[in-house]
Amino acid sequence: MSKPGHQIPEDFHALRQVEVNMTVKTPEFSPSRRTVLVGLGAGLTAMALPRNASAQSMKTLRYGLSTFPPSLAPWETNGNAANTVKLMIFRGLMGYDQDAKLVPELAESVEQPDAQTLIFKLRANAKFHNGEPVTAEDVIYSFSAIMAPESTAYLKASFQNVDTMEALDDKTLKITLKEPSAVFTQILANYCAGIVWAGSAEDDPIGAGPYTIKSQEKGVYVELERFPDFYDAGQPLSDTIRFIAYADENLRFAALEAGDVDVIEYLPWQQFENVRNSDRLEISATQGPFMLVLFNVAKEGPFADPLVRRAVGYAIKRQDVIDAAFAGNGEPLLGFPNPKGSQFDLSNPDAEWTYDPEKAKAMLAEAGYPNGFDCTLLATSTYGMHQDTASIVQAYLAMVGINATLDLPDWSSRIKAGKEGNYDIAVHGLSGFYNDPDAMWNLLHSGDANYVRSFGFSSERIDGLLEAGRAEIDPAKREAIYKELYQAYYDEVPQVPLNWRTQAHAFDSGSVTGFHCFPGWLNGSTAYVLDESAVS
Amino acid sequence: MTSYVLRRLTTALVMLWVVGTIVFSVLLIVPGDPAELLLTTGGADASTDAVENLRKKMGLDRPVAEQYVSFLADTARFDFGDSLIDGTPISETIALRLPRTLELIAVSMVVALALAIPAGTYAGLNAGKRFDRAASAVNALFTSIPGFVSGTLFIYLFAQVLRILPAGGYVAFAQDPWMHVQMLILPTVTVALHLMTIIFRMTRASVLEMRAHDWVRTGIAKGLRRRQVVRRHILRNALGPVITVVGLQLGILLGSTVLVEFVYNWPGLSGFLVSSVQQRDYPSVRAVILTVAAIFIAINFLVEVAYSLLDPRIRLT
Repeated sequence: MSKPGHQIPEDFHALRQVEVNMTVKTPEFSPSRRTVLVGLGAGLTAMALPRNASAQSMKTLRYGLSTFPPSLAPWETNGNAANTVKLMIFRGLMGYDQDAKLVPELAESVEQPDAQTLIFKLRANAKFHNGEPVTAEDVIYSFSAIMAPESTAYLKASFQNVDTMEALDDKTLKITLKEPSAVFTQILANYCAGIVWAGSAEDDPIGAGPYTIKSQEKGVYVELERFPDFYDAGQPLSDTIRFIAYADENLRFAALEAGDVDVIEYLPWQQFENVRNSDRLEISATQGPFMLVLFNVAKEGPFADPLVRRAVGYAIKRQDVIDAAFAGNGEPLLGFPNPKGSQFDLSNPDAEWTYDPEKAKAMLAEAGYPNGFDCTLLATSTYGMHQDTASIVQAYLAMVGINATLDLPDWSSRIKAGKEGNYDIAVHGLSGFYNDPDAMWNLLHSGDANYVRSFGFSSERIDGLLEAGRAEIDPAKREAIYKELYQAYYDEVPQVPLNWRTQAHAFDSGSVTGFHCFPGWLNGSTAYVLDESAVS
Repeated sequence: MTSYVLRRLTTALVMLWVVGTIVFSVLLIVPGDPAELLLTTGGADASTDAVENLRKKMGLDRPVAEQYVSFLADTARFDFGDSLIDGTPISETIALRLPRTLELIAVSMVVALALAIPAGTYAGLNAGKRFDRAASAVNALFTSIPGFVSGTLFIYLFAQVLRILPAGGYVAFAQDPWMHVQMLILPTVTVALHLMTIIFRMTRASVLEMRAHDWVRTGIAKGLRRRQVVRRHILRNALGPVITVVGLQLGILLGSTVLVEFVYNWPGLSGFLVSSVQQRDYPSVRAVILTVAAIFIAINFLVEVAYSLLDPRIRLT
């Protein structure tokens, strides 16, 4: 991808070789055989030493991915594996430090003179992989591409809030927003918001991240090489990162245990105990995505009635879902999914679902279904956890008289059915990408039919609260708004939450330093930690 | 002969066209849209707008007839086109991956032949004796264990417990010959085990049958040494059916190594086919299937020619 970046370390080694040759020549010539031998010995040692030294400094971190990145297009979302690799190649204006705190990345500082204006000062030493400096024009080029009508960017909708972009000088950029936004800087830290050199060819985007692609083979591995001109001179710590794809989760774990890789993502839930009991391996886990039930409320029938949906919330014993589908690794989720690591504590026992089948039955009777009814329950056979969750939900619904027939097509058909409303209820797993209640926007705010939202659901109250929460900058006022949203979620029942599921990385604690995963919904951005991860 | 070859070539082309058309139509019927699948990988919420734009980029908004005609025209020029997903030329990927699958199959076949033919012969000659009973029992055991099960067991034993072999993966021979061999061991053993059971059974039965023929008794009666009788009069005749089975298996393996490739992360052709199907990468799926079909047709053709060369009674007209 970035050939010039590739060249530099080679030259670097060449330079080192020259030095070596010079040391060989250094011993003064003398006719004595002994001196010659000593000199030869010293020369050989000198030749050998740098080679050893360079072998030692060529530290490769081997990372087991769950799948080979289908594409590394900078602004499209192509799954977690792709996002991880992308974050090592492309960086945005904002980023996260080792403690998952939002910090300026390619920007050096960001000022907010008023609620709708942001002024970014770019780092003087930030360079693209071809050696060109990162300028305000490159940022404008990248963001314009994200917003363009023909764009396939993940953040296209989020960027519609941008009103104007102006380069005050080479290194200063002013962005004005149509509406004030409490989360715009979080969006800029996303793995799909990388800054690309304005002169890049369409199929060869040049980034400014800590690594460049050294070699790759489709479906097998991607090997990255340290970009020596990364703005942070001390980082990254590893010279090379080799991402190897293991589609089978058990093989991925076996590869870690066999020492073929140093770190793996998506540790299978069944292996948590093995890793915890291991002397050599360590686990880093967080409560990440959540499982939930979605409803087709557009269809005439029981689920159009919020009371029936609320009854579903009371009918399911969440711990059983966690035990059956996630080998006990998760936490019950009783109300609005406020991600771990969120700055607000929104919990409110009056707006939460505890397991209470009697209450569920009473609500169904009140809604006019004392004898229950039949329906279809959509999930997918592609992901075992979706299928297992659906089976438990089916069993618990049967206990309150709702007879659900499972519909388990493959993932592709599942998406289509969700988008076209070909279901009564559906089981699904979702996540936002930053730790703020606002990250629920895409999953709750009304808009085009989408498989991540209940089909046909729209609530002015929820839309209004989401909009108010995003446009408010004051944290205290935001907290009040989201507390109301928490209640609205319970009243209107856009979804029924089931549980958080534990998302874990595992690594070899004997050799890997500086690795841990990011909490909550930032888990997908864990790749930022790789800047400071190293193997010994 | 020339007219025969020409006729067979024409048939082969028609067959390839039929295969290509069937694959093209089946892919249209299978639900799923590559653009949507790509943008929703991992459960992301793709906007309708982004999906539409990507469909356009991929050229999927063109009329089906137009797509079909350009598919035929490109294939006729041996141009498989680029992957829909990442834009890499498909012929490059096939050129890279086909030899790996062939390597796995070839090495496994050699290992299986080297072990199963002597064992099968010995068991057949000594049917009912201790070795035969033990070997047949072991054979029955391995016949009933599918490759992905033995594969998982091998990985657990040799990679996770003993830690003497890598759990899976691939390194090119040119890059690191020793590592390449290490990574080849487990997949080879897994495929070879399955092949061995088939070859062993076939050889044993065939030897058993030949052993009973009159000419064997005559050979022994006229004082030939046992080794000569076995080699010249039993084995040579017994191997005919074995070779037919081996030929068949070679073709079948081309498509069925997929599970072994998956279990061991061996980046061969069938793994590429599976991921292309999952991603609905239409041109890649079509290219792989056409390649495999072409190899099948070529093998069949060569087998027929070989028969006519070996047995003058068979004429190709």
